[in-house]
Amino acid sequence: MQIAGKTTGELKTQVATANTALINGKPFTIEPGETILQFIRRYKGAQYVPTLCDAPNLEPFGSCRVCSVEVGRLGNGTHLKTVASCHTPVEEGMMIYTDSPPIQRLRRNILELVLTDHPLDCLTCEVNGNCELQDVAAKVGIRKVRYPEGEVHTDREKDLSHPYMTADLSKCIMCYRCVRACDEVQGQFVLGVSGRGFDNKIIMGLDGSFQESDCVSCGACSQACPTSAIHDVYQSKANFGQDKVRTTCTYCGVGCQLEVNVKGDQIYSIRAPYNAEVNQGHTCLKGRYAFRFYNHPDRLKYPMIRKNGQLERVSWEEAYDYIAERLMAIKEKYGPDAIAGISSARTTNEENYLMQKMIRAVIGTNNIDGCARVCHSPTALGMQRTFGTGAATNSIEDLKYTDCIMVIGANPTAAHPVTGAKIKQKAMKGTPLIVIDPRRTEIAKYAKHHLQLRPGTNVAVLDMMMYYIISEGLYDADFVSQRTEGFEDFKKGVLNINLDELERVSGVPREEVRAAAITYATANAAMCFHGLGVTEHYQGTYAVMLIADLAMLTGNVGKRGCGVNPLRGQNNVQGMADMGVQPYQGAGYLPVENPQVIKQFEQFYGRKMPTKSGYTIPQMYNAALDGKLKALWLTGEDVVQSDPNTARVIKALQALDLLVVQEIFETETTKYAHVVLPGASFLEKEGTFTNGERRIQRVQKVVEPIGESKPDGQIYVEMMNRLGYPQAPYSAKTALEEISQIVPFFAGVKWEELGDNGKQWPVKPDGTDTKVLHTESFKLGKGRLLFEDFVETSEILDHQKDYPFILTTNRVLEHYNAGTMTRRTPNAKLVHEDILLINPLDAANNGISDGDLVRVESARGYVHVPAKLTDEVKPGILSSTFHFPDIMINLVTSDVHDSIADCPEYKVVCVRIKKV
Amino acid sequence: MSKNISALSGRKGLEEGLFEKIGQLTEAEGFLSKEAAQQLADEYLIGDASVYGASTFYDFTRPENKGKKVYVCNGTACLCAGTQEGLRQALSQHFKAEEIGEMCCLGRCHENHAFYYDGHNYSGKDAVKKLFGNGQAATAHQDHYHFGAAGAGIIAGATYTPEQCRSIVEKLLDTPAEEVLEQIKSSGLRGRGGAGFPIGIKLEGCRKAPATPKFIVCNADEGDPGSYSDRFVLEQRPHAMLLGMLIAGYVTGADRGVVYLRYEYPESIQVNQQAIASLRNAGLLGNDILGSGFNFEIKVVKARGAYICGEETALLSSLEGQRPEVRVRPPYPVNYGLFGKPTVVNNVETLANLPWILTRGGAAFAATGRGRSTGTKLLSLDSAFNKPGVYEVDMGTPLAEVVHQLGGGFRKAVKALHIGGPLGGLVPIHKIDDLTVDFESFAQNGFLLGHASVVAVPEDYPMVAYLEHLFAFTAHESCGKCFPCRIGSVRGKELLQKAQQEDFKIDRQLFEDLLFTLKSGSLCALGGGMPLPVYNALEYFEEELKAYFTEGK
Repeated sequence: MQIAGKTTGELKTQVATANTALINGKPFTIEPGETILQFIRRYKGAQYVPTLCDAPNLEPFGSCRVCSVEVGRLGNGTHLKTVASCHTPVEEGMMIYTDSPPIQRLRRNILELVLTDHPLDCLTCEVNGNCELQDVAAKVGIRKVRYPEGEVHTDREKDLSHPYMTADLSKCIMCYRCVRACDEVQGQFVLGVSGRGFDNKIIMGLDGSFQESDCVSCGACSQACPTSAIHDVYQSKANFGQDKVRTTCTYCGVGCQLEVNVKGDQIYSIRAPYNAEVNQGHTCLKGRYAFRFYNHPDRLKYPMIRKNGQLERVSWEEAYDYIAERLMAIKEKYGPDAIAGISSARTTNEENYLMQKMIRAVIGTNNIDGCARVCHSPTALGMQRTFGTGAATNSIEDLKYTDCIMVIGANPTAAHPVTGAKIKQKAMKGTPLIVIDPRRTEIAKYAKHHLQLRPGTNVAVLDMMMYYIISEGLYDADFVSQRTEGFEDFKKGVLNINLDELERVSGVPREEVRAAAITYATANAAMCFHGLGVTEHYQGTYAVMLIADLAMLTGNVGKRGCGVNPLRGQNNVQGMADMGVQPYQGAGYLPVENPQVIKQFEQFYGRKMPTKSGYTIPQMYNAALDGKLKALWLTGEDVVQSDPNTARVIKALQALDLLVVQEIFETETTKYAHVVLPGASFLEKEGTFTNGERRIQRVQKVVEPIGESKPDGQIYVEMMNRLGYPQAPYSAKTALEEISQIVPFFAGVKWEELGDNGKQWPVKPDGTDTKVLHTESFKLGKGRLLFEDFVETSEILDHQKDYPFILTTNRVLEHYNAGTMTRRTPNAKLVHEDILLINPLDAANNGISDGDLVRVESARGYVHVPAKLTDEVKPGILSSTFHFPDIMINLVTSDVHDSIADCPEYKVVCVRIKKV
Repeated sequence: MSKNISALSGRKGLEEGLFEKIGQLTEAEGFLSKEAAQQLADEYLIGDASVYGASTFYDFTRPENKGKKVYVCNGTACLCAGTQEGLRQALSQHFKAEEIGEMCCLGRCHENHAFYYDGHNYSGKDAVKKLFGNGQAATAHQDHYHFGAAGAGIIAGATYTPEQCRSIVEKLLDTPAEEVLEQIKSSGLRGRGGAGFPIGIKLEGCRKAPATPKFIVCNADEGDPGSYSDRFVLEQRPHAMLLGMLIAGYVTGADRGVVYLRYEYPESIQVNQQAIASLRNAGLLGNDILGSGFNFEIKVVKARGAYICGEETALLSSLEGQRPEVRVRPPYPVNYGLFGKPTVVNNVETLANLPWILTRGGAAFAATGRGRSTGTKLLSLDSAFNKPGVYEVDMGTPLAEVVHQLGGGFRKAVKALHIGGPLGGLVPIHKIDDLTVDFESFAQNGFLLGHASVVAVPEDYPMVAYLEHLFAFTAHESCGKCFPCRIGSVRGKELLQKAQQEDFKIDRQLFEDLLFTLKSGSLCALGGGMPLPVYNALEYFEEELKAYFTEGK
């Protein structure tokens, strides 16, 4: 038999070695479990075998059949069979012919059939030149369509209803990649197929438009579509001849890699690279689409100084002079501790490092803090006290290895969408999921156990879980004895809890807690994720410690698929703390009151160092109100909108002699600034962000800074020089070099070695990084089991009588924190206001209907919020967000803080409600 | 296929099967409303698009089904018999045009004039008159077709009394599962649904699969137009089939069985539900059967009208409430089947053989038949025969014996026999004597035994129209997943239509390219198999067909 000019008889003789298969006559080693397509691509590259329905992040589907190859098997004579390579496993001794005449004929004819129902308007199509159908048609050499005109679907109307997603199904080739992406990647099932056979059609929701559907706008379908059938308003597949710059997303702590399409100073669109270890070709709508804030007309483009009550444009020189003069005067008059800095988790590691260095070494105070104070400071502290290291023990990829997932106080599908989607994927497929949350979040619907506790009772529920684990002998005695200390005291504390009381206060039946505890404790590897629903409480740090206890108790530390994994809120909140933006720890978590450390810093920075810990953010407000703090330099955080008890925050800011706000937009906070400095956005500078799994990833400059704005790092450097400290000009490389010399776990970090996917700290001097912490021992040696009993927050004790509802605040998918950026993108068309979630029973009792404006009043103040009736919250519980300054929900939040880490208790606010 | 939907649907299991819910919510209006789709989506934690999309797939749940009251069979046998236009006219005196739908096929191929009305099937020349005549409501039509057996008569003899059922189950439970498996393997029994895959290998694979629970699925979606031998088993030998499922469950460790039974066989559904109830009442189904500790329960799930559900992976997706689109293999159902769990899917007739193998042994079964085709085979003959009906013969029996002796020859001039359903070979009359009823004989002669239905193509039926019918059938029934079948079937139909209606000749090269593409490129046997009868026609009826094609060859 003639195959591609050679006889199969000749080729057969070339199968000499075991564990190989032949590609067009040449032997290559196969790997277990791989498909023929994967095998061929490993040796011959992605383009060697054409495909249409295949996509890198989707399961083999086998619909287009374009990847067909001929295969022969040993002992089967010259019989060749045509198989689709994408779903046929490669076998030892297989003879694979990728381009034989029958295969060429088959591919050509399939493409011809496809083109009978596809508009032939390539030249005017927006993906012309970057269309997979076009490429494959060219590759297989299709010249003309021989079929006479028949039934077609090329008259389908476009769907332009959605701010981001577009559909033109006349271009659809029915490869299902969009449907599969929606299912397999995002897990949303918004896209489906209706009809049968030739009439099959992609549908959104109930065959409506994108806008009418439950689409979460992640864009996975658009990226997956090989033509322009499903697309986005930024025409991300259009061939504008752009450059592509890889960078790290500026939003949440997942740290997605992005590929930014740019030409000159114009950013066209963003796609997710498939080789990204963090996000594998996926992002959420914030990462993919909400980038147009970068050149929004509102961007701050020049420095401003408040003159006669108005912010007026000034030169950088004037601004620097103004600040330097006042800082010096204040330092002279009140001492360095009258000055403080709040650095920004939105800025790079290098910038955070420089900011804290400026405050510590140049100003001479430890008054440096950052937004972690109001989010994950209890995590850092709680994990330091139990493990010795305040960072995620494991990696997100450990989801592959886990047998049980526990999510406490986190709503990852909204706040960490790419990780949330991964968790949801696991849960949907049957991995037991435990959700501990007052709200029935999206993932709670898929949970095996949803412990819907009253806000503020995490400690109660965690104690109950451990009660059952210990009393029923489900703990890992070997791990406890070899790796931990303090078990006897811990056990005593746990077994002494008042189950009746904890059951009552948490509102979770003990049997439910017990069942969840058993699920967690009996899993081979149980992985815990937690969020601000754990930390933003009076007992936040204790709850984190108990989570760590739970993991240690069950041996769920130091191996794959387990651990304690805080879902860090902001893109670089991990890095900010790593770089020393904390009043009691300098770069590398070195304690600032330790004489050894002081000496080390003094040597390194060449300046006298302060010896006392500085103010936390809440302490800064107190100090300002007390007249002790006179100047505050605040970068990239809208504290007026995002910190609790807004009225008090404003009073504190108004008490300052100097408030410098470094921002990209005017915010509620800039209203009180004396000086406003325009920073550059993440698209306009370089550096590194460290994501929630300790992964240091590169941020690369895509466009030049807008107007006169400057990278924050450059502003700090220029200010430091202005204040008389010689600091080299800002560049990621030089700053990282400096950091690697002082931060122990950055020892081996080099800008040029970070590559596409970064490195997870600790990075050894030889450059090796770390996926799982604590594999052999803890930083403390042994892990510390520390028990803490439940204590009611004073918010409830003091106010529940008069304010009987509990309001808990959180975030929606479409907006990011104070909304400074997302409100300036089309995300605002998707969600344009904060709303109040209220149980229908409570609504009925208070005469409230969907959409009614509700007065929500606490002991601090009141706001008016439109209601949405939902059983996502239990009766007595309300939930809202703080994305919009029109409502300013933090007017009602409280002054209660975590008893150790000083993190505000956003999650428990006693309120009363009334229909307006 | 969505792994997520498989798993989420599996959470509710068979008891609250999503597919059945879709069907139930469709009963009143004939289609699934969008509100109902939304409600199911919320309940099953999947997308509204997923539920709605699935409902639009099936003939009897899609929006086009709204308001249909009576359905005319448009299967191949009725088509060849030419009875349906008259039937349609007769029905139009009682129904509005928009109330008359189509069904394919009702398995009334022995007398045609077939239609479905109000949960019952009717056929025969005067059915409409009888049903609606004189203002009197007629009772459900009684069905008469010939049945006969030549040879071992394994199915013919499988009329089990309650006592016999009990002793079969007792024997099963007294025999170690490995030994039962060995008997089945040594019997050489191959699947009767069309593919001829040895059942022993499937059972062994499922038995070895580690995951639980496991499922036995009986594929009772006898969709081949012109075939009704499974209907015979379902209605006349239900216990044999159900006990076959029990045996398969015992061998594999499965504790649940599902009979996926076509909507078009309403009487079969009733009979099987009764048979299951009788077995349950006798303690032969349920928990701890006869005190053995073995649990097995069977449920009938009513299909909703889609030929592709005869393909096992599409059937599994259907049962899960997904769109019944063909899955890629591997994974195979024995490892990853219903709800992602190990599953054996077998045809009605195949399973009905198992009690015999259990009681008489694999060797005795293997002694019947010829070569690798052991046992017997049921054939169904359509109304072109003098004695239309279902006949059981030993594998290897000359086809001529079936046609002339059992079937009594033809009552009209016939030019070809379409054997094995729409994907089976088109056997010209002169080749009948060359064939014996077994897998190998048919394959060697370029045909396919398939499920062994026999539809006669009358001498006066134009072959070009018959080919158009085959393409139209495939186009109608294609799940639409793979490109060659979805588009190719329509283009083939269009070419044949155009050649008949206009001054247009089909480019012979193009047509051959199309057949080649369907045959070698399709994902499953529908697109892959439909070229076979077309190739046969081109070979044996070239004279008749050449006028429609360009010169050449």
